Amino acid sequence: MQMSLSPPDATLTVRLILNGEPVTLEVPPQAILLDVLRDQLHLGGTKKGCDHGQCGACTVHVDGRAVNACLRLAAMCEGQAITTIEGLAEKGQLHPVQEAFLVHDAYQCGYCSPGQIMSAVALLEDPEAATDDAAVRDAMSGNLCRCGAYRNIQAAIADARRHLESNAQQQGRQP
Amino acid sequence: MKPFAFSRADSLETAVEYRQAEPNSAFVAGGTTLLDLTKLDVMRPSRVIDINALPLEGIERLGDDRLRIGALVTNAELARHPAVREDYPLLARAILAGASTQVRNMATTAGNIMQRTRCPYFRDVAAACNKRQPGSGCDAIGGINRMHAVLGGSEACVAVHPSDMCVALAAIGTTLTLHGPQGEREIDFADFHRLPGTTPHLEHMLGDDELIVAITLDPPLRPLGTAYLKLRDRASYEFALASAGAMLSLDDGMIGEARLALGGVATRPWRCHEAEALLVGRRAEEAAFTQAADAALAEAQPLSHNAFKVVLARQAIVRALRDAREGHP
Amino acid sequence: MSEINDPAIVGHQTPRIDGEDKLTGRATYTTDWQVTGMLHGYPVPATIAHGTLEALELDEARAMPGVVDILHHRHFPELQRSPNSMKHGDQVSEVRLPFEDERIYYHGQYIALVVAETFDQARAAALCVRARYRREHDVRPGLLSGDAEGETVDDYSRGDPDIAFASAPVIHDATYTIAPESHVPLEPHVTLAEWHGSEPRLIVHESTQGIFYERNALARIFDLPAERVEVISHYIGSGFGNKLFMWPHAVATAAAARLLGRPVKTVLPRQQDMMSTGQRPASRQRIRLAADPDGRLMAIHHDSTSETSLVDRHVDACGGATPSAYACDNVATRQRLLAVNHGTPCPMRAPGEVSGIFALESAIDELALELDMDPLALRLRNYADHDPQRDLPWSSKQLDVCLKGAAERFGWAARDPRIGAMRKGDEIIGYGMASATWFAGRQPCEARVEIRADGSLLAACGTQDIGTGTYTIVAQAVAELTGVPVASIDVRLGETSLPAGPLSGGSMTTATALPAVAAATRDALDALQEIAVGPGGHFAGHDRASLEVKEGALVAKGQRAGFAEILARHRLGSVSGKGSAAPGGERRQYSFRSFGAHFVEVRWDPGISRLRVARVVSSIDVGRAVNPLAARNQVEGAIAMGIGMGLLERLEYDPRDARLINANLADYRVPVHADMPDVDVELLDYPDFRFNEFGARGIGEIGLTGIAPAIANAVHHATGKRVRDLPITIETLLDSPLIMT
Repeated sequence: MQMSLSPPDATLTVRLILNGEPVTLEVPPQAILLDVLRDQLHLGGTKKGCDHGQCGACTVHVDGRAVNACLRLAAMCEGQAITTIEGLAEKGQLHPVQEAFLVHDAYQCGYCSPGQIMSAVALLEDPEAATDDAAVRDAMSGNLCRCGAYRNIQAAIADARRHLESNAQQQGRQP
Repeated sequence: MKPFAFSRADSLETAVEYRQAEPNSAFVAGGTTLLDLTKLDVMRPSRVIDINALPLEGIERLGDDRLRIGALVTNAELARHPAVREDYPLLARAILAGASTQVRNMATTAGNIMQRTRCPYFRDVAAACNKRQPGSGCDAIGGINRMHAVLGGSEACVAVHPSDMCVALAAIGTTLTLHGPQGEREIDFADFHRLPGTTPHLEHMLGDDELIVAITLDPPLRPLGTAYLKLRDRASYEFALASAGAMLSLDDGMIGEARLALGGVATRPWRCHEAEALLVGRRAEEAAFTQAADAALAEAQPLSHNAFKVVLARQAIVRALRDAREGHP
Repeated sequence: MSEINDPAIVGHQTPRIDGEDKLTGRATYTTDWQVTGMLHGYPVPATIAHGTLEALELDEARAMPGVVDILHHRHFPELQRSPNSMKHGDQVSEVRLPFEDERIYYHGQYIALVVAETFDQARAAALCVRARYRREHDVRPGLLSGDAEGETVDDYSRGDPDIAFASAPVIHDATYTIAPESHVPLEPHVTLAEWHGSEPRLIVHESTQGIFYERNALARIFDLPAERVEVISHYIGSGFGNKLFMWPHAVATAAAARLLGRPVKTVLPRQQDMMSTGQRPASRQRIRLAADPDGRLMAIHHDSTSETSLVDRHVDACGGATPSAYACDNVATRQRLLAVNHGTPCPMRAPGEVSGIFALESAIDELALELDMDPLALRLRNYADHDPQRDLPWSSKQLDVCLKGAAERFGWAARDPRIGAMRKGDEIIGYGMASATWFAGRQPCEARVEIRADGSLLAACGTQDIGTGTYTIVAQAVAELTGVPVASIDVRLGETSLPAGPLSGGSMTTATALPAVAAATRDALDALQEIAVGPGGHFAGHDRASLEVKEGALVAKGQRAGFAEILARHRLGSVSGKGSAAPGGERRQYSFRSFGAHFVEVRWDPGISRLRVARVVSSIDVGRAVNPLAARNQVEGAIAMGIGMGLLERLEYDPRDARLINANLADYRVPVHADMPDVDVELLDYPDFRFNEFGARGIGEIGLTGIAPAIANAVHHATGKRVRDLPITIETLLDSPLIMT
């Protein structure tokens, strides 16, 4: 097989599913997913706090798993489904986790909130994740909140879990 | 982060050919080390070769009761795999003690083995660092070295190998399968990471045109008591100050087999063979655990800021061995 | 002054009105702003801390893709310094202009600003800038790396402490240190600057706690009338003091935008943010206490030194709270300042006092042990029931209620005071407590309120919401006075085109802004009433004084007319009211301070040297909490930050060359979710109407004071080791009496 090495300045075409919609991107090879989301796609909800995977403000879902968008090349996302905070609320209705954050005042400045929420949603959707408080705290520890709203975030996650479980039960009862 | 080219490898052969064609290229799987260090200008690949499309997924039990794990299996997948949780709980616990949920979702098995040190002088291109720039000196030895190694260091380098997962791999016994131009070869994990010596920039035995394609765990110990204890400043999402992975098989309170490895204190994943030898045949009690800890740290050479790591590592060993005993069925 | 005695909305838990925007990603922080034609700036930091920049090699960087220009000391416009006056509202964090000279004063000082078409291109080119320095070896390392004391900048005394010490039967004398700490607000510092028109106007988006200070300083620096500079900051990814006053990146960015004729946005990378935009400076404090055998304090000496940089003077006044903390006739404090080769420090949450209270409240605990007294009883014995510093009554002081109430909820009475006596499994339990306090201040403020044709209201004030919930409390205040639901009140903050509002700092925003908002609301209602009683009005011929305001309507004698109906009848789009408020004569009659108490339980596992904070019980009195939901959150967040201060946080400067080596969020450790203990925070409700009509003092800072000493005191109880140096890291405990090695 003949190898063809693309030059460094070649733009790459990347096709992905972004918040449920197919998107085709033209990006430079070194483009970071976080910068592409924010600067190119104007999705500013995903925040940059450290740019090195140390704060979690950039957490998005790639094929349903929470990842740091700052440590991922856009070019690596070919064919993947990416969900950002903007894709969470459906038809203007807050996601139960967002609703719980509002009720529990699970934030102060709000800058880490999209990342906290994306991590919390992934955690709650993970059927194998442990559910005790200590496990939740550990699982969420990749999301720093310098304002320190940790207690309220944990309360919001517990509340959202109850809400989602009762929703699931109700749906289960329906024929 | 300086511009680089990007290629997707669709077969092992192409991956190797890309590397051979461009020696300054780098493979990317999870990206958690490469992109972090590229942004800091510590790594400067001319081309990044995405190997995520290679068929290196999957976890399978081999006929000889060993477990083969594809290089691209993520840390998160590996920690939750039933065979790992059941037969290699030390591995699952070590992985889950490391990094964050997000990083574990991205980082791969081979990437974890290949991760670079967290030494702040290595990560700062303006500092002297023999690992980053051979011959430039080591700013850590006379500098702030609280986080550095007390075992396996040299006058050239005292940087810690930061992995938790590798502590478990060292204790369990692991074989790496490498792929290169001549096809596959195997290497014992114990021989893979190099001591810094006078050449700290040479970190492992992987050839320039090779990549790790799988790791294979030795057959599990049964019955098994196991513990991974990680000591650190904050309660989560931090590299170890000292960690200990311990596995014990017991027979009526007597130690049959013992495995012990350390993290956070050494320049490479650190198996404690002498301590293990001291444990075998002894009653699983504090006296034996303490002697094992003494043996494990006998060669420790603390630096100006990290003498406490020797104490901490001893404590981690004693407690991990006790917890392994308590956890024995 | 009217008092809002039985409020329906103020004082009640209210979800934030800006919450949905924050939680859906719609809220536009400064980092999120984009404008057409925008360029990206990326600073190049000095890699040495002390010396001279001899040469910059820029050819490689200039040739990189997308690079538009590189600003540096030989390519930068002539600008003026800001007068740097707090009083005149043009204070800056670092008075030296960027690239002003070739001296390097600290690691991370900007030596160039690369401007390129994209962020990625700017960063790539910045990495290609080569600098040649002449290093100088007489570097001044941090305060805690040596024993230099610096120059005295302030002192205070009453009575004669030295005479008291000479005769005192019990003396405690010890020295306490605190490592430098970084604020690390999760939104880094960021400036987006654009120039418009031939008679130029400068518009700056900045993540700032003080839009008017930045506007005034930029006007001075660029020699513009203040009205031609606009600063905008709608959402701020927190600040903690880090963003009170402008830093040089903003000046460099505005200069680049003018030079290049295009908007420029500079987002500081985290590493540079931690190197060059301030920190809580290191401090060393000596506390000497003299007491009689019954524990009555006879004298207090509090001598402090804090660091500053070589380019500006920031004084972290550690002894600020000491003169009023205890009933004691003989008190002296002294503040020294030492200039070092670190970046310029700045206020960080409860600046000065939080450091001083660590030393003082640790020392009081030590004195209690020496006297064999309960530390809580010792504090009550020396209770200051008036302000001994100013010899004035407190407007309202409930510290005794806080101390006793929190002790009760915590279970302090069950404490076995013997060291290491309380155990559970492998762990030893330690109890500790400390008092909290923070001054209550107010500033002048203006506001505007509009009543609009659709019945909604708009309240506008040029202050900021840094995450404390200012948007929401402004809406609550307007809702309280108009009966219009919070959901129908728009609040605009964070623009210098709005009526002048205060800094978001010093825990003063609530007490400063709400009275002005209330005055503006009343003025708007007055305008509406004037129309309603006028010709053709709903209440034509009524006495205006007979009109009541109820649920968004004017009501008199069984007749009711909604705000919207009144405006509609007169074909009016809106009526508007202005208000202003300022502190008055009450300052001469009372001393205003908030107080609280923290009780902390630590768990110490001596077998593995593991120390964790397990539980915190706090009672805080800030008068009335306007929004207890957000107020309690402030205290809980301060507890988290206090755990960082107590156990984790330390900027590490290499003493050999003063370079900062842990300028990132992995090596500089802030608390994570897993570090958060169980917390139980009670907010007392004693409205302080002597302070303002809402009875509210501030809550942003008090919660941080007292946490670190309560932890240190608990650590002593658990381990027998008295740690006087923050943070209390593992290695400081390894020689504790109970360690098992």
